[in-house]
Amino acid sequence: MIVREVVVKNKSGLHTRPASMIVRTASRFKSDFFIEKDGYEINGKSIIGVMTLAAEPGARLKLIFDGEDEEEAAEAIVALFEQGFGEIE
Amino acid sequence: MEQRSIQAEAQERIFVGIPAAPGIAIGPAYLFNKGEVVVEARRISETEVAAELDRFEQAVQRAERDLDKISSVAREKLGEESASVFEAQRLMLRDESVYDRIREYIQTHHCNADYAVAHVLDEHIRRLEASNNTYLRERVADLIDVKERLIRHLRREKLLSAVDPEHIIVAENLTAADVVLFSRRGILGCATDHGGPTSHVSIMARALGVPAVVSLHGLSDSVQTGDLVILDGIQGRVVVNPRPETLALYRTRQERYRRLLQDQQHLIPLPAETLDRRRFILRANLELIDELDLLKKFGAEGIGLFRTEVLFLMRGPLDVSEDYQLHVYRQIVERVKPHPTTFRLLDLGGDKMLPIAHREHNPFLGWRGLRVLLDRPELLLPQLRALLRASAYGPIRILVPMVTALDEYRRFQEVLEDVKAELRARGEPFDEAVPVGIMVEVPSVALMADLFAEEVDFFSIGTNDLTQYTLAVDRGNDLVAQLYEALHPAVLRLVKHTIDAGHRHGIPVSLCGELAGDPQATPILAGMGLDEFSAAPPYLPEVKRVIRAMQFREAQELAEQALQCHTATEVANLVNAWLEEHGCGLLQYMQADEPTAGNGRAEASSLQES
Repeated sequence: MIVREVVVKNKSGLHTRPASMIVRTASRFKSDFFIEKDGYEINGKSIIGVMTLAAEPGARLKLIFDGEDEEEAAEAIVALFEQGFGEIE
Repeated sequence: MEQRSIQAEAQERIFVGIPAAPGIAIGPAYLFNKGEVVVEARRISETEVAAELDRFEQAVQRAERDLDKISSVAREKLGEESASVFEAQRLMLRDESVYDRIREYIQTHHCNADYAVAHVLDEHIRRLEASNNTYLRERVADLIDVKERLIRHLRREKLLSAVDPEHIIVAENLTAADVVLFSRRGILGCATDHGGPTSHVSIMARALGVPAVVSLHGLSDSVQTGDLVILDGIQGRVVVNPRPETLALYRTRQERYRRLLQDQQHLIPLPAETLDRRRFILRANLELIDELDLLKKFGAEGIGLFRTEVLFLMRGPLDVSEDYQLHVYRQIVERVKPHPTTFRLLDLGGDKMLPIAHREHNPFLGWRGLRVLLDRPELLLPQLRALLRASAYGPIRILVPMVTALDEYRRFQEVLEDVKAELRARGEPFDEAVPVGIMVEVPSVALMADLFAEEVDFFSIGTNDLTQYTLAVDRGNDLVAQLYEALHPAVLRLVKHTIDAGHRHGIPVSLCGELAGDPQATPILAGMGLDEFSAAPPYLPEVKRVIRAMQFREAQELAEQALQCHTATEVANLVNAWLEEHGCGLLQYMQADEPTAGNGRAEASSLQES
């Protein structure tokens, strides 16, 4: 199991487009993927789950990966957060 | 409804609405009906469960294909941001809290898939509706779409993707997704019960060059798929089951319109100037980046009104960041320069409801336009910053919507100065002299125009709202819609008063209501001294044709006479006779040789009244 902490950097938070990007990316991997925010955990492969987090800019999230390709999954998802989901700066 | 439709013979019926995109279409109707989905619970036996799960799987796959298609068309026509909404809907179909839960529910409760779909999605919907978070409450619409799409596929109902080409779409209302899908189908035209000139259907129809009429109250109740329909996007009329004479009449008009469009080509590169060389400026009203090609195609000199609402509607108002706005505005400015782009600040309220606006008893007299912006700095500030930053890339003008009082405008000016100071401190380059103007769409502003003119850089007259407020007529209300008279002398007097006040203070005056694109109004507006006409691009060539056919002096005389008229009918008769004399005017051309020719508007009303 891998746990990573990230901060939501993109200006509008985890709205529809970033949420879709997370789910699509996570679904490419076999590992389970959960996101925890303020003690509330959701399945990171569920678009409704990710949207329900309503994570705003600055929110701290814990990403939990578990499975055979957890390393690659963690790398791909963390990269999305770091690049601010490709939003125009 | 009854007042606006007549039974000329057994079955011919005429509906009058608001023209949304010009052109004439004749063809069979396709009734696109999207009523509330009612789902009944049905018990199934243990042995039927496998078949029910399979039926559900088939529906999911068909829904996935739908949404794939919708997002790819949306990406192409409307951009990445609006496509993401449909992509998210597609992901919801296989979401464990949707897909797995529905399957589970069918298995444990032995019920039909339709009921399971409704049950599971309604749970999500109720949860989001109860949320304190605005963004989440707005997602309810997505879940409702997903639910209805699945249920319709379960019933194997003919969905939108099954619409035959060569049909005229008749619907109560159309969403962005509906219109996006139609655009691939080679439809002949769109007619809706609701909506206005800036609804999705109108915007898309103009972008696609398909004729459309909106606000045809009651039409969808009176039409069956397959009924022969005439759609007149020029006068804003729909004729259902026309008599042979009517059909022949419209076939001639359709052919004339086709020739007119060909003939317009030579006008496009020419200036909008009168025979005695008085020059006017024709600009475009736009809402989408994808429409920018229309500027060149129809010969517009820049944008007189860029409505920023659509940008926010596509994404949800709080999802539109300053940087995203800058990205959009900059692309527009760079493509439109050296001509200016006039950006109207977010104009919410009235008939333009966004989810964040709450329902009001009387929205037209309520929280709208500048009132919303001053109360909601989280909307106003990022937009002002983005616009000012965009001014570094080309000429822009800022247009403030729905101003009603001078102190309100002064408060706005203070906010603007603060934003400029902030940008200076940040070292962001911007044009210090960006012109700031106001919409003149409330009688109080038109009456005080001389005092406003001392403090603003330009006026833009919004005649649609100005007419409604002046005549106390809601054109969306069947009972009084016929009292909405665009050429009412009271409205013309306010327009004239505004133009004169602007000119006394040396500021330009533009008009961006539907009137600006109506060739019937062109000689009067030109004669009153209007500087700029701003209209949906397809309407501009005919306006130019009228301008090029007249002497400015004659137009001034006509305007003087119009201002002295007692009624709108008098004005219409006056201007129609004038257009006839000058051998121009759209209706005059379309209806040449017809018994009622030269009587454009009057003919329309006599048809309604007979």
